[in-house]
Amino acid sequence: MTADESSAEVEVPLTTKPLSSLDLLNAKLYTWSFWKPVMWAVISIVLSLIVSAVIMLLSGYDPLLAYRTLFYGMIIQPDYALYFATPLILTGLSVALAFKCGLFNIGAEGQVYMGSMAAAIVGYAVALPIVIHPLTCLAIGAIAGGLWGFVPGLLKAYRGAHEVVTTMMLSYTAILFTQWLATYPLREPGQVQLTPQLPAILPSAAIPNVVGNYLHWGIALAIVSVFVVAFILNRTVLGYEMRAVGFNRDAAEYAGIDPRRNMALALGLSGALAGLAGAGEILGNYGRFIDHWSPGIGFDGITVAVLGRNHPWGTLLAAIFFGALRSGGTFMNAVAHVPIEMVGVIQGLIVLFVAAPRVNDWLAKSGFGYAIWVKNEPKIAVPNLAALVFGVISSVLALGYCTMKGLGGMFIGLYFLVAIVGAVSFGMTLSKYRRAPFIHVVLCMLWLLTGAVDSLYLGGVSFRTAAVMSIAGFMIAVALFWVRSKKIKEGRCQP
Amino acid sequence: MMQAIDPNLLLLGWLIRSTLEMSTPLVLAALGGMFSEKSGIVNIGLEGMMLMGAFTAAAVSWYTGNPWLGLLGGIASGGLLAVVHAVACVTFKGNQIVSGTGVILFASGFTTVMLKVVWNAQGASDPVTKIPDVYINPIKDVPILGTAFGQMSPIVYLMFVMVALSYYVLYRTPFGLRVRASGEDPSTLDTAGVNVDHVRFVAVVISGCLAGFGGSYLSISFLGFFGKLMTGGQGFIALAALIFGNWTPIGCLLAGVFFGFLNGFQNTIQILNVPELQLYLNFVKMLPYVLVVVALAGIRKSIPPKAVGTAYEKEAKA
Repeated sequence: MTADESSAEVEVPLTTKPLSSLDLLNAKLYTWSFWKPVMWAVISIVLSLIVSAVIMLLSGYDPLLAYRTLFYGMIIQPDYALYFATPLILTGLSVALAFKCGLFNIGAEGQVYMGSMAAAIVGYAVALPIVIHPLTCLAIGAIAGGLWGFVPGLLKAYRGAHEVVTTMMLSYTAILFTQWLATYPLREPGQVQLTPQLPAILPSAAIPNVVGNYLHWGIALAIVSVFVVAFILNRTVLGYEMRAVGFNRDAAEYAGIDPRRNMALALGLSGALAGLAGAGEILGNYGRFIDHWSPGIGFDGITVAVLGRNHPWGTLLAAIFFGALRSGGTFMNAVAHVPIEMVGVIQGLIVLFVAAPRVNDWLAKSGFGYAIWVKNEPKIAVPNLAALVFGVISSVLALGYCTMKGLGGMFIGLYFLVAIVGAVSFGMTLSKYRRAPFIHVVLCMLWLLTGAVDSLYLGGVSFRTAAVMSIAGFMIAVALFWVRSKKIKEGRCQP
Repeated sequence: MMQAIDPNLLLLGWLIRSTLEMSTPLVLAALGGMFSEKSGIVNIGLEGMMLMGAFTAAAVSWYTGNPWLGLLGGIASGGLLAVVHAVACVTFKGNQIVSGTGVILFASGFTTVMLKVVWNAQGASDPVTKIPDVYINPIKDVPILGTAFGQMSPIVYLMFVMVALSYYVLYRTPFGLRVRASGEDPSTLDTAGVNVDHVRFVAVVISGCLAGFGGSYLSISFLGFFGKLMTGGQGFIALAALIFGNWTPIGCLLAGVFFGFLNGFQNTIQILNVPELQLYLNFVKMLPYVLVVVALAGIRKSIPPKAVGTAYEKEAKA
């Protein structure tokens, strides 16, 4: 995760002319190590869209309509998409920067809150001229967030306290602390709302909009931050040292780099970026600090950084993608009435697929392997292929029955079990697991059982399907075991 | 009889009861985290697994009207989500923390979407059948004990059983030995002829089942409905309890009960309704988090399993 593969294998042509950064970029574009992560991200997105489509199908939504409106919503309102992307770019950079130093800043949310609170206080309590005021607020916000990140950084560096736990805990502490500030000492006087909030910031502190009702100049700040972070990471001694520590702490230490100082600084800088995100949102969007204002931008920053492979530019693209997904989700909610949380499901699935890059390798290898196998040994492979298809069909059919309304819990439970066993059978057959045929037989028996239960207690809602499936399944099973016995005879398989 | 009881005593009994109720989901989820981390896999997705368990338990209880089936469903769904985590981290050697984050994101989105699908509700589900409480009639009128233990969810008692069971499994069975070995020194375990990945897979699934158990308690025993994102960070507190409890079952119990006590204490303050105390309620709420940070910073030494967080790669076959 931490290895900077994309820049490690750039081939340097043997010319006397000094290379410009454009040449380097050009050279990068021809390397596989540059394209592989991009491919991987795209495949993960596609896979998660497929799984989400299945979930939507099961919950009674039309995935085709949903995706049509989602993609339409993603492109018709670019300003709305960028509005959502603005804080995500900054929190994504925050998480990515810490990742580069081998640290996982899971508590960016707390740093966002601290930064936003500090900016809001300076925004309403201090009177300053028009351009200086927002800049001061942003700086103070970044410092507040930075300090909130620096503390766990110090604890990690000098006391060995694991940053995943400390940043998370400090994140909750920050949310409770800012809530307390907004509820008691700094609450807007004479306020009637139930949600505690601070007085509105002065007009001089507000960040104006670029265009339309949503997008504010914070987007420029975010894009500049991408440049700055990319510069720090790739062109300065500090960035080099941080990456070295992230790559291999011990090696960096032997090379004379102080890992402790770099870790503390990295989490501090990471916190500053998160604080900047919070401050920008308060000044450009909310206009005041409101208790629990953030829709989880700190947590979403992790998603962004993970999808962007912790690369500043990748983070920018990923943030814009997720911003577009959010704005498309709003449109999808309005038109297709699919809940906006579906976007959260898609995001979670993307992270899960990105977390395990080898899933893609495995799928590709197993898929190709199967194709070759079927071509070379059709007599043995075809029954397995049939079992594979049978597993998928069982899974989909059973899940479909699960969603039928008005059936008993036992029936739903049974069909859910069939769906799970179907998926397991598919996975085992695909990986050519030795005991896959047995799972296949279990699946057939489950179909038989559901058919029996159905005809006895429910009046045969799915009796015909269950009967056909179990008969087909047992026929495949006979073929499977026949092939297996032949393989055992030839000594190519253990009994 | 009732009017003779001092209200302070009533309050004490109520505090004990509240502590036990609040600590049950924490202890169960912390035990889950312990199984996973003892085997060497970080399970940051406890929060998501609890949420999934809470949702499924409520949904099954609503569909069938039988809360015990709901409990089974909750445990199974937590385990199922753990299978996803295990496939990502154990089978495909993915990044455990990233995968755990994905689990949380997925569960938060999924349960909220399903809340809409099943109950057509935005914030909270319809009331579902709860697991009936256990009444101990002989002590009903005893001053403190009556309020504390007179009426209690059976899952609170089950929680203590689970602690004992976890202790037994982890320290008195071959499987427990393997789990601990795969977290401390997986290559030695591998040399001894045990499949490290199998052990870790099973441990992660047990972890998810226990977290789902804790989540189910919240929805079908404690509250009686499913609310949007109802776990509210309890999975992370459970993770903290696990660290505070030094990765042992008894430690998890003590730390969980301590954090549960802080929660119960908050509730008591809210019921007392003293404005002076009310003012500092947020600081009481912060206490568990701050304590964990302080504990990690070195007042108390905690020793995680050695190989936790790293995927075990067999050496390539020659």
